[in-house]
Amino acid sequence: MRRLKWLLLLWFVMPLAHAQADDALLQRVLTSLGQHAAVRADFTQTRSDPALEKPRVSQGHLLFVLGHGMLWQTQSPFVQTLAFTGQQAARIDPQGVPQPMRDARGVSRISQMLQAMLAGHVNEVRRQFHIAARGSTAHWTLQLVPRQERMARVLGSIELRGDAYLEGIRIAMRDGSHTDIRFSQTRDAGALSGLEKRALDLP
Amino acid sequence: MNARLTLRAGLFAVALLLVAALGTWLLFGRGRMPIQTDLLAMLPATEQQPLAEAAVQRLAHANGDRIVLLVENTDDERAKAAARTLGKALRPHNVFASVLATLPPFDLGQMVAPYRAHRFFLLSDADRAALAAAGYDPAQALAQRIDAPFVDGVGTTLQDDPFGWLQHWLDQQPWSRSPLVPEDDLLVAHRHGQTFVLVTATLAGSSYDDSVQQRVLAAVDDAVRRVEHDQPGTRVLRTGAVFYAAAARAGAEHDVHLVGWISTLGIALLLIGMFRSPGPLLLAFLSTVAGVLFATVTSLLVFGQIYLLTLVFGAALLGEAVDYSIQYLTARANAGPRWSAADGLRQVRPALLLALATSLLGYALLGLVPFPALRQMAVFAMSGMLAACLSVFWLLPALLQHPAKPLSAPPVHLAQMLQRGVSRAGLGRRGLLLAMLLLLFALPGWWRLSHDDDVHLLISPPPALVTQEHRIRDITGLGNSSQFYLVQGANTEQTLQREERLEQRLQALVRHGRLGDWIGLARMAPSQARQRDDHALLERILRASGSTSTSNARPAGPAEPTRTLADRARLQALLVAGGLRTTAANAYADAWPGTPLDFKAWLATPMAMPFRYLWMGCDAQGCGSIVLPQGGDDDDVWLRRAAQGLPGVSLVDKAASVSQLFGRYRRYASVWLLAAIGLIVPVFGLRYGWQRMPRVLAPPVLGIALTLAALGYLGQPLTLFHWMALMLVLGVGANYAVFLHEGEPHTAHRPGAMYASVLLSALTALLSFGLLALSSMPALRDFGLTLLLGITFTALLVPASRADEDGAP
Repeated sequence: MRRLKWLLLLWFVMPLAHAQADDALLQRVLTSLGQHAAVRADFTQTRSDPALEKPRVSQGHLLFVLGHGMLWQTQSPFVQTLAFTGQQAARIDPQGVPQPMRDARGVSRISQMLQAMLAGHVNEVRRQFHIAARGSTAHWTLQLVPRQERMARVLGSIELRGDAYLEGIRIAMRDGSHTDIRFSQTRDAGALSGLEKRALDLP
Repeated sequence: MNARLTLRAGLFAVALLLVAALGTWLLFGRGRMPIQTDLLAMLPATEQQPLAEAAVQRLAHANGDRIVLLVENTDDERAKAAARTLGKALRPHNVFASVLATLPPFDLGQMVAPYRAHRFFLLSDADRAALAAAGYDPAQALAQRIDAPFVDGVGTTLQDDPFGWLQHWLDQQPWSRSPLVPEDDLLVAHRHGQTFVLVTATLAGSSYDDSVQQRVLAAVDDAVRRVEHDQPGTRVLRTGAVFYAAAARAGAEHDVHLVGWISTLGIALLLIGMFRSPGPLLLAFLSTVAGVLFATVTSLLVFGQIYLLTLVFGAALLGEAVDYSIQYLTARANAGPRWSAADGLRQVRPALLLALATSLLGYALLGLVPFPALRQMAVFAMSGMLAACLSVFWLLPALLQHPAKPLSAPPVHLAQMLQRGVSRAGLGRRGLLLAMLLLLFALPGWWRLSHDDDVHLLISPPPALVTQEHRIRDITGLGNSSQFYLVQGANTEQTLQREERLEQRLQALVRHGRLGDWIGLARMAPSQARQRDDHALLERILRASGSTSTSNARPAGPAEPTRTLADRARLQALLVAGGLRTTAANAYADAWPGTPLDFKAWLATPMAMPFRYLWMGCDAQGCGSIVLPQGGDDDDVWLRRAAQGLPGVSLVDKAASVSQLFGRYRRYASVWLLAAIGLIVPVFGLRYGWQRMPRVLAPPVLGIALTLAALGYLGQPLTLFHWMALMLVLGVGANYAVFLHEGEPHTAHRPGAMYASVLLSALTALLSFGLLALSSMPALRDFGLTLLLGITFTALLVPASRADEDGAP
């Protein structure tokens, strides 16, 4: 009987302890990431989809400004700049003028989630995802699984991994498609160009 | 002689009992109380087209039989828990047909599937513009779709929709744009750090049913109290026709009680004080009750129901109906021991008939206004006055056979002093001079007069309910239904095409930030012409970019199937070149060309259900649909401009139409008032001689002039209802002049007694009509205030009308 009690107690305490460790790591990771107000990186995105003959690779540069949004500049296979700010998504034309895309809720959802998380609003993200943290601050993985059943039917999970910076994102869909984004040459952004400021609606 | 009086009284009593029985049955015997709490029903039909009026009704009732609750809390968990509890608490009440808090299980794929077969016929506005522009490259669109960052795939798959066209089209559908998103099986919005959760319920009965109102209010109040207690920091916002109707009913009941009780009590005290015995009081009330009873039954028979406005007005009418019996009772008191019921009747009959005639004329004019509510007030008043007067002719004489005590001396003395003072002042040239002075004094007041025609005169919902509704609308994006476009066409296709032309303009308004959004059917199921055009656009794009088989196609208009086959081949090649698997490319290309979306079939799908009320259907005259603008400026100039010049499109704005109508009739009202005076002039001229006529008419006319000035000094903007009241002032004021003129010769032995009876009439009128100034309905408040001022002025001035006879030393 006594043993059973201990077992029960352990049963309850274990996940709790686990969750706390997770949370502590998550907080440390987010704090460390949040120290960089603006970051530049090169990206390589690999998308595989059941409808595609072979995985498709695109490359380019990323500018991430905390609290404002990000610029996604594809260099190959074609040149295009997308700006994600808040709930808006826009295509930046060669003159640097944003051309709003149609209601881009689906496209900008993950960008919003990243923004919210790095700005320390973990609770907003927790409404939509279960977050599990693994590893150490030097080498970590965050696994996000949708909480909402509707979402879970299409989206499998989102995995973020990194060290001092975000190294990669992997999005797994239920229909068997994957998106893998790897970042390299990550560095603090330094001064922004006029075009970048305009695109992100910065002063 | 007495036997004839008794027989007549007996017959009248029997008739009264029968009417009472009929009234009881009409009111209570048919289940629902025939009291109309739907304020919209009081408004006049303002729209030229019956279809527009039908659309107004449709929209009012689309949201009429449900309630919307929005649970608000800064704590997300608490807000959601509160919403769940609220849903559970409401569900057991059988006054709700259904309660929706937690969403039923539901697959996002269901949103896509019904449109898949029609995907080559549906284009979003942005894609249509892009495809039509020069240099559109579908290969580019395909690459952009494949390489888009962060696509989380909610929506169409790459295989189903490689270019993203269908996805873009779905994105512009209302269900994709709603600020409410499903979260934890609830419909949730996050705003300014607050969580809002939607809970709705449909009623198992009409919002305008008394018992439904009470049960809904009790259930909601109880559940909300519990939830706000259990989840601290929770606020529950509510809206729904049932809340407005219940508030209107409560307001009217409060008014009826206030006006009814105070005036009854006041009149009773006055009568007992004057006649010094309870008998006359009972008889006066008997006559009034007869009037109200006949009035209620007539209104119910003519209109089938009674408006709240009439109910309140009816409570006030007591004060005018009692005048006839007061005249008869005063005649008896003044006759002293020489009283004979029949002679007394003969003595007051001309005065009463003349008074009745002027009242009926006044109310008949009121009834000419095409407002259901005012018509009913007129019918109510006319039948009530007639019955009250008849009861004096037929019922009262039999009950008043014995002489009575004379009137209480102090009031008569007071009246005499007042009468003497006024008639001296009004004598000859001095009177003319004083009248001029009064008018001079009134001049600045007239100068200050302004006007107000707002619909809220008739409908003034409690501000608390209105703010809640605005907030709910703001957060959930649920539209307001007082302004909308009615689109009409000869058939479904033309109607949809016209709607599309309107929506192009609305789109421009949205782009310029003048409009939030809109909901229209053509955006969800476009016209065949638009679908054909969109399809042709896709066809052209494919052909222009086609690399493989284009050169082989015969240049001179190949047969339809060959063309389609060629298009399919081009499509397939394009996809394979873009990196798609052959099987995936084939599957997509095989779907080409597909079929256009059929409006009728779409309207029958479950997805269309929430929007079905926007379709007015078709009849011999054609078809109609409703387009609801949402959000944006309150200024409707832009909305109006958007409809300009478009055939079959009109902006319907019930509130504005009613205000316009108010304004039009307010402007007519001054002319009517003159016309009414014009009607009285010959009556007085014949009865009192043309030379004396101006003097008899002067008190009511001056009373009206001074009332207008007083309203100006008070800063009250004039409304239609002020004018309506002025018409009554004319009628009542003319009565007083008539009573004084007709009665004075018979009461020469009792100076002041006749004027005392006129003052008594005025006081009873003030006690009833004047109390309307305390009403919660602005229309009745204006009405009451005007009567209060007008009757006071006229009653004080009326001795001047006999100045040449009484005032002479």
